[in-house]
Amino acid sequence: MTKMLDDYALMSPLRYTNNWLKIGLVLFGILMGVSSGSPAVPFLIALCMGTATVVISKMPLKQYLKILSGPASFVILSVIVIAFFFGGGQELFGFNVLSYHLGVNVEGLEMAFLVFSRTLGGMTCLFFLALTTPMVELFAVLKKSKLPDSFIEISMMMYRYIFVFLEVALSIKYAQTVRLGYKDLRTSLNSLAMLASTLFLRSWEQGEKIFISMNARCYDGKMAFYEETRPLRAPETILALFYVVVVVFVWYITNGTGWMR
Amino acid sequence: MIILETQDLKFSYPDGTKAIKGVDIKLEKGKKIAFVGQNGSGKSTLFLLLNGTLKPSGGRILFDGEELQYDSKSLKKIRQKIGIIFQNSDDQIFAPTVYQDIAFGPSNLGHSKEKVKAKVNEMLEYFGIEDLKGRPPHHLSGGQKKRVAIAGVVAMEPQVVILDEPLANLDPVGADELMDVLNELNHMGTTLIISTHDVDLAYRWADYVFFLVKGEIIGEGKPVDVFRDTELLQKAHLRLPITFDIYREIERRNLAHSGRNPKTVPDLVNALKPPDLMWVEVPPETQVGEVLNLGVLYGEYALDSPYEAVNGKVLHIHSNGKAIVELTRHGFKAGGIIIYDMDRFDPESLKHFVLDGGIDVIGAMGKRSKTLAEQHCIAVNISSGVIDRAILMALCGKRCMILTNGGMIPHSLNRINEYINRSGIAISVSIANPQ
Repeated sequence: MTKMLDDYALMSPLRYTNNWLKIGLVLFGILMGVSSGSPAVPFLIALCMGTATVVISKMPLKQYLKILSGPASFVILSVIVIAFFFGGGQELFGFNVLSYHLGVNVEGLEMAFLVFSRTLGGMTCLFFLALTTPMVELFAVLKKSKLPDSFIEISMMMYRYIFVFLEVALSIKYAQTVRLGYKDLRTSLNSLAMLASTLFLRSWEQGEKIFISMNARCYDGKMAFYEETRPLRAPETILALFYVVVVVFVWYITNGTGWMR
Repeated sequence: MIILETQDLKFSYPDGTKAIKGVDIKLEKGKKIAFVGQNGSGKSTLFLLLNGTLKPSGGRILFDGEELQYDSKSLKKIRQKIGIIFQNSDDQIFAPTVYQDIAFGPSNLGHSKEKVKAKVNEMLEYFGIEDLKGRPPHHLSGGQKKRVAIAGVVAMEPQVVILDEPLANLDPVGADELMDVLNELNHMGTTLIISTHDVDLAYRWADYVFFLVKGEIIGEGKPVDVFRDTELLQKAHLRLPITFDIYREIERRNLAHSGRNPKTVPDLVNALKPPDLMWVEVPPETQVGEVLNLGVLYGEYALDSPYEAVNGKVLHIHSNGKAIVELTRHGFKAGGIIIYDMDRFDPESLKHFVLDGGIDVIGAMGKRSKTLAEQHCIAVNISSGVIDRAILMALCGKRCMILTNGGMIPHSLNRINEYINRSGIAISVSIANPQ
């Protein structure tokens, strides 16, 4: 089975650090990146977050780049469009396509860089959170943020049974494939419909079974939470503070002063 | 002391299917009890009745002498005392992490946070799953899941633990480990009830066995008593436990002491008999190692078949003309196997073959043949492992008839001929009604 983001997060050494610290850092990174007028700050954030994910959290570099490349390809496409069609000022280079002039100018390029850096910074921040904080840790955060208990309980169960049904869905799909269930569009649609309906019935049955098994353990309508406390430790706090100070400093000296100018 | 008792317990599903049809059982405290039966015999339904999940449509259940009540307070109490572990661990483990799942039961009992924590840690240690505590269940193997499921139930300190097919989907090593855990639990005083269709497990492990067929108890008793009752086993659609089967065959060949009930391989080895030795008078020129023809024995001297050709290998020669010989016996009348083609079944002709052919044993192979035999009230003695058993019977001088049809006929002929070629023992094989 292929690994999911959550699987990497579960194995990450950063899993056991304080969740609020991680969330705080990520929010801080995103806000700083978006509010910065210069691409330097988002690039710095992307560099720090990427390094933290790969070096400290031990995410395999190859996999990390692969995950990043998904959204990155969209960003690069849109950045090219921005570079060609936005901004004014001095033209850097251009060419004619069927009597229509296409050119890249300074402001357009600057804007393209900024957009690229901001998205990259934001992406690395979010991936840092996704790759170091598994869902099971986030439930404690949800609980602390005063969301309704039933909402959290349902999401806990959903999380648990996503994987059960994923397995069921996969095995049904294999069973269909080996009997040529996906040989052309018609059969594919038919097989997919059967898969979906079977899965629905299965989840219905599963729900009943869980209810019985929960009752067998004296379920009384409330699930208690027993989150592990994740204390803040000195080294990580100092490292985080250092990062915050550096980013704020860079933000301060570059803000308002265009990077290209 | 009886901990759990049912009196004329009945249950039917809303669609009218009668799942449990009047069950009377008495379960003793501290025992290991096994319910044995086919899939769909009502084991799971019975278990859900025992812990109050299902409400019986007739009869009553007594726990510690008190009748089960179905208001939520009494149910909570009974469910704390009777823990149930389902066949599929995924039905049971629903919390995102192992730790939270084990904590679920104790926290429902209203314990304080500290007490729950202590209990969970104790369970993690007891079941050797401390390093799994932060993991989500989909990162666990089948055996680990089962342990977590059991830990979650044992954390509530039940007096009775019910396990539905505990060894399903476990690899052999995982199964052995689980059995160790269960034995330890039982040793600490927990009454264990399992359901299984694994006769070997029930025979080896249980103190007391119930046979459940189509919602009825058709037999109960100590494993050594019930598992020797071949008629009962057949009714329950079960086979002999393998150790017992092997023992019976070597006992029949007079190679093992009779009247033993070996449950494990060492037991089986213990039951083996020393070689068949005898003092005989020998001619003076006999040498050690020579094989003597001792002629034909019959009556009480022939142990395996009516007449036996006996050879003796000389092991030691005494000065007064006597010697110790090791006997080897060869059944004189080797039996035969007759195959009857059920595709051309005719009750009259079959009866004729059975009576005239002096058939001792009838075996049926294949669902169609079994059904036909049942419909025509033919007493089938063998219904599983038919070819092997027929050969074994034939070796003991019995005449066997195998009722079968279609492609299984050449298959059985091949198997039997193969055996004849390999062993060099002539068993007569024929088809009763060839095309």
